[in-house]
Amino acid sequence: MGDLSMKELVIDAKDMNAKELNRIIKEQSSFHDKLIINNPESRHNVCAGLTEDVEIEINGSAGYFVATMVNGPKIHINGNAGWFAGDNMTEGELIIDGTVGDGAGQGIYGGTVIVKGSAGSRTGEIMKGGTVIIGGNSGYMTGLLMMGGKLIILGDVTDDVGESIMRGSIYVLGNVKSLGKNAVMENAASKDQKELKEILTKYGFDLTDEDYANFKKIVNMQ
Amino acid sequence: MCGIAGVIYKDKKTHPVGSALTSMLESLQHRGPDSAGYAIYGGLNFSENYYQLNIQVNRRKGTLDNLKSLLTQFSQIYEEQLIESVGDSDIYKCKIALEDYSLLKPCIREIDELDNVRVINGSHSFEMIKDIGKVKDIAERFDVLGRMGTHGIGHTRFATESGVDRYHAHPYQSYIIPDITVVHNGQITNYWKIRDPLERKGHVFESFNDTECIVHYMADKLDQGYKLEEALDQAVIDLDGPFSILVGTPNGIGIAKDKLGLRPGVMAETDEIFAIASEEMALHDVIDSDQIEQIAPGETRAYTI
Repeated sequence: MGDLSMKELVIDAKDMNAKELNRIIKEQSSFHDKLIINNPESRHNVCAGLTEDVEIEINGSAGYFVATMVNGPKIHINGNAGWFAGDNMTEGELIIDGTVGDGAGQGIYGGTVIVKGSAGSRTGEIMKGGTVIIGGNSGYMTGLLMMGGKLIILGDVTDDVGESIMRGSIYVLGNVKSLGKNAVMENAASKDQKELKEILTKYGFDLTDEDYANFKKIVNMQ
Repeated sequence: MCGIAGVIYKDKKTHPVGSALTSMLESLQHRGPDSAGYAIYGGLNFSENYYQLNIQVNRRKGTLDNLKSLLTQFSQIYEEQLIESVGDSDIYKCKIALEDYSLLKPCIREIDELDNVRVINGSHSFEMIKDIGKVKDIAERFDVLGRMGTHGIGHTRFATESGVDRYHAHPYQSYIIPDITVVHNGQITNYWKIRDPLERKGHVFESFNDTECIVHYMADKLDQGYKLEEALDQAVIDLDGPFSILVGTPNGIGIAKDKLGLRPGVMAETDEIFAIASEEMALHDVIDSDQIEQIAPGETRAYTI
């Protein structure tokens, strides 16, 4: 561990289990502006339940349930993440430079989950608010049982997008293989395009006006 | 939950597969604490019609003598080793010769009729190592780190529907064709619909474990002339329930994931190696790459050398 008096702290997680690592993250979040975690080695549950307004940089990949149930922190992973990244987040930001497994952003109430690469199946399932952005493709049943929020996919999506969606919106720039039950697709209106531009520009996605005009919007058919 | 892992070296030469799989399975230990196992292919180098038997033997006096006495009725015993294990039994490992592969299963059945003895497996081109306990302990007990091979599959088991013992540890093997093994994470919910037709064809089931059902299903398909990838594609159509399965054969490994993608699976590849596992953390033990691919719902892959 580095110097405790600094605003920035480097934590080497190599010989820690997830419980020890999370305890240190929680303790040190009160005293530092930024925590840098090295050697995460795809551990599960990293930053689970963190409620401090702290910046976290994870150098490597995280396992399942990274940033689950967080409220406030800004977490940046310079690697991949496993299943259920950002699960049940209420506020904060989770940026993943690589790819994610299934269920990214599942059940979030607020905050933003940004994945630069592609995602597995059931991205944004049962999300109730907030925003999930996938820079690449997204898999089977993307937006399953969605109840609110915005799910933005810049690549292609496979089968049954928006399966049993109730509320919220799914925006897709690439191809949509098939829609799920209860879902309808329309072109994104100019108001939607404006909102998308604001969000995506904020997170460094460089799209043209033509791209924004090509977004499709998937919502509940009623 | 269960953890599965597989690795194959593309140059067809032998590598420390035991060490690679142990690292991967240790990373997946949290997915299954009950038992663990390996099928390591390509390291035995047995001549034709030679087989390795792994037999669970109770320490009761006279049991091992009875076993050896019966074995010598089938074959000379060429190599033998008694491996101390946990509980009231040890593992007796030996090498025998039979005139033909068709005699292997009848030999195993006869040995199983002895009191206090149970055959874990019999194989020609791979070594099966499986036991109850943690990966680290099993690896030490059976000197797995020193095992060389061209490819292999492994498993850490979280038992959900059948006993916690050596026999129910994965991998499972079928004798319908030589040397086919399966490890599995999930549940097969149309078990009897798969098992009944196989039994009507004369295939004998030893347990009610769904993984045994999968290995017989795969062996039956390969026996019918299906290629490994074709058999895996058919498995995705025929098998219901959540599953990720890994199949080992003498010249390759295959993966299949259920149609809804309810069990995890990731893979990574370099010019030298292809590796597959339940979780990314296991891949980093053998491949230095962040280029991880998620296995999609209903996807199958087969890698042969």
